[in-house]
Amino acid sequence: MRSFLLDRVSLGPQFDEEVLGVKKAFMWIGISVGALLVIAFIALSVMAGGPKDAVYMVRYALPHMHRGNLKVGDAAPDARVFALSGTETFHIRERTGAKPLVIVFGSFT
Amino acid sequence: MYVREAHPSDEWQMKSNVKDDVCYAQPRTLSDRLAIANDFTKRFKYPLPFGVDDMQNAANDAYAAWPERLYIIDENGKIAYRGGMGPFHYHPGEVRAWLASRYGEVKHPEAKPAPNEGEPEKKEARDTKS
Repeated sequence: MRSFLLDRVSLGPQFDEEVLGVKKAFMWIGISVGALLVIAFIALSVMAGGPKDAVYMVRYALPHMHRGNLKVGDAAPDARVFALSGTETFHIRERTGAKPLVIVFGSFT
Repeated sequence: MYVREAHPSDEWQMKSNVKDDVCYAQPRTLSDRLAIANDFTKRFKYPLPFGVDDMQNAANDAYAAWPERLYIIDENGKIAYRGGMGPFHYHPGEVRAWLASRYGEVKHPEAKPAPNEGEPEKKEARDTKS
C-alpha cells in the first residue's frame, strides 16, 4: 500500500531521491544474494561432481551429515549392533577394554 | 561398522557406483542391511570383525558416523581419536599414526592382488528396493 502511494504521490524531490536510493539498495542486495547463490551452486557442483550431484548432495547428504559432539577424552558411547548373521547382537562396549578399539564406520556405496 | 548407505541407487547414486557395480537401494529393513553388509564382506573377503547398525541408526547417531568416519576407543573406554567427516576428512593414515605411536611402526608385506580383483562376485541381494 505504502509503495503504491509512493509511486503515485510525489512528496518532493528529496523524498523521491531517497526512495530511489532505497530501491537501488534493494536491487543490489538482490543481485548480490543471487550472485552468491550462483557461486555457491557452482562450488557445490565442482565439489560434488556436477550440477545434478550438487542437488542430490543438498537433498540426500547434507541432512545426514553431522559433526557430532564427541571429543577426544569423552566416554565412548555404547550402541547395540548386529553381527553379520543378523541373529546375534553385541555392544560396542563389549569390544573395548583389553586394547584400543578402532571403529571404521562406512557403507558399501 | 556398517551404517546407512551413502550413495544408494534411489538417492544420490554416483557414476563410480555403476562403474564398480555397487548398486543398492537404501535398505528399508534390517535384512536388506544385512544382505548388503554380507555382500561387502564376501566381495572384499573382509577379514575383520563386522557390525551392522540397527534400523534406528543407534551407532550412527551416537558417533555422527555417516557417511564414513574413524574412531579409536582406548582401553579406558574413552575416545582416543576422532576422525573427521568422510570422505573429505577421512584419513586412515591418522589412525595408523596413532597406532604406530602406541605400538611402533608395522611394516606390511607388499599386498598381492586378489585373483579375481575387479571382478565382482555374483551378488544375490542386489537392489533391495522393493
